[in-house]
Amino acid sequence: MAGKKTISRVTIKKMSRYKKHPASYRDPSGFVFEQDDIYYRQVNKPYAANYERLIKSGLYDLLVKEKKMLSHTEVEENLTGEEDWYKTLLPEQLRFISYPYEWCFSQWKDAALLTLELLQTALDHDMILKDATPFNIQFADGGPLLIDSLSFEKYDETKPWVAYHQFIGCFVAPLLLARYQSADLLRMFQLYPDGIPLRLVAGLLPLKSFLNIQVWLHIRLPNMLSAGTGAVPKKTPAFSRKKMKHLISNLFSFVQSLSLPTIKTQWNNYYDETILSDAYLNAKKKIVEAWLRELPASTVLDLGTNTGLFAEVAALTGKYTIAVDADTACVDKLYNECRKKKITALMPLCADITNPSPSIGWDNTERSSFSDRMQTSLTMALALIHHLVIGKNLSFDQLAETFSEFSPLLIIEFVPKNDPRVDLLLANRDDIFDDYNEDAFLKAFQEKMIVLERTMLQGTGRILFLMKRKD
Amino acid sequence: MLPYLLYIDPGSGSYLVQAIIAAVLGVAFYFKTIWLRIKLFFGGRKKDNQPGNHKEDEQV
Repeated sequence: MAGKKTISRVTIKKMSRYKKHPASYRDPSGFVFEQDDIYYRQVNKPYAANYERLIKSGLYDLLVKEKKMLSHTEVEENLTGEEDWYKTLLPEQLRFISYPYEWCFSQWKDAALLTLELLQTALDHDMILKDATPFNIQFADGGPLLIDSLSFEKYDETKPWVAYHQFIGCFVAPLLLARYQSADLLRMFQLYPDGIPLRLVAGLLPLKSFLNIQVWLHIRLPNMLSAGTGAVPKKTPAFSRKKMKHLISNLFSFVQSLSLPTIKTQWNNYYDETILSDAYLNAKKKIVEAWLRELPASTVLDLGTNTGLFAEVAALTGKYTIAVDADTACVDKLYNECRKKKITALMPLCADITNPSPSIGWDNTERSSFSDRMQTSLTMALALIHHLVIGKNLSFDQLAETFSEFSPLLIIEFVPKNDPRVDLLLANRDDIFDDYNEDAFLKAFQEKMIVLERTMLQGTGRILFLMKRKD
Repeated sequence: MLPYLLYIDPGSGSYLVQAIIAAVLGVAFYFKTIWLRIKLFFGGRKKDNQPGNHKEDEQV
């Protein structure tokens, strides 16, 4: 912080305007702050030499060119007024922030591989990656991207990788738990945002995983060593560039080799074996697409997206679309399809909307909650409400309240009680849903919204609504 | 767990781990190179590109 003597009137005025990002306190190299709804990054004096090296070595240009790192422009002004100021960076602004515990397996894997590629490229430029946390990675333009421009420092050949332990706990551990136990365990990262403890990982991995020599080397061995006397060698063993090369290529092939066993979940074959006909899906697609093209919405939130059939429609109309589903297998399928088809305006995300990610970290402010980040111009809830009302006992009032908070526009599908899908939901439980009908649905939603359109979906009894929030 | 362990940065323990892993990988790499030479000697020319393949060469 600037000392009292040096604060001029101008800086006092400026200091009151900027707000440091609550999660940006760990690294003394600099920090992220917000001013007038724009995010900046300040580079502090102690990091100056490393920052200059990043730029002058050509590492920055190469990584930006290869779309592996977020680009920035330098602002020649000390916006924070802090004494430690060296440079202000204006990074390319991100549309949306996702957290690793909301990613599917393939997103984790791509982020891990990117981290190793960054490390390799840095070494080629005589620098090294000093942080390896997935929080430094965001998905933009369809692929992973490093957002922390202060992650590199000068490489010292005699030292091993300073972020190795972090990489194992933050990337390898979650990937292994997903590979050998369940992809749902990726969400465990929310409990251990600094990395899943190896002791825990070793305990959770099945015996057969230890037949894998890599698991033994990177999980079992370090765990055994840390469970010993705890004596840390005073002299760190000398490392070399060659050893580093072996380590990176080993980690690379290890991460590359991890894949999920093919499983059939409750949802990932929903459209393939559904009783819903093609005619119904096509009719729905047509209506949704026509509405989307007309509406003045720039961002769309698709809740219960399944494998993203309608999220893709939204993305292809040019709207940035966040596609959410609780089933990680579905999200994985969608993410891989988007990468294959190069659909960049779609952000697939794993989240259970009946239990979305909370705000976590120090003072509950470091990582914001799901609802705080989902402010979009339009929400889609297609073939969803029967799962929430009949499957989860939520009321129409609760849905209307929450959906209207997400966005000013809503496309929602009403699935009536005589629908075969609803029959399935009611097959093994008492029907306590006497008020589940279109009138009750409309009464609840009209408290918050105005109905703009109502269209019956031929041959199904299902109804599509377009609504606008009352302001 | 001994209480003083809480004050040790987990990163410092990882130096030792990395040294061991690097040694293991170094040995494995050494034997792999020999093995590839033997294969090459006994008419392993069918996969001409493999020994020269950068990644294959270094994966352990």
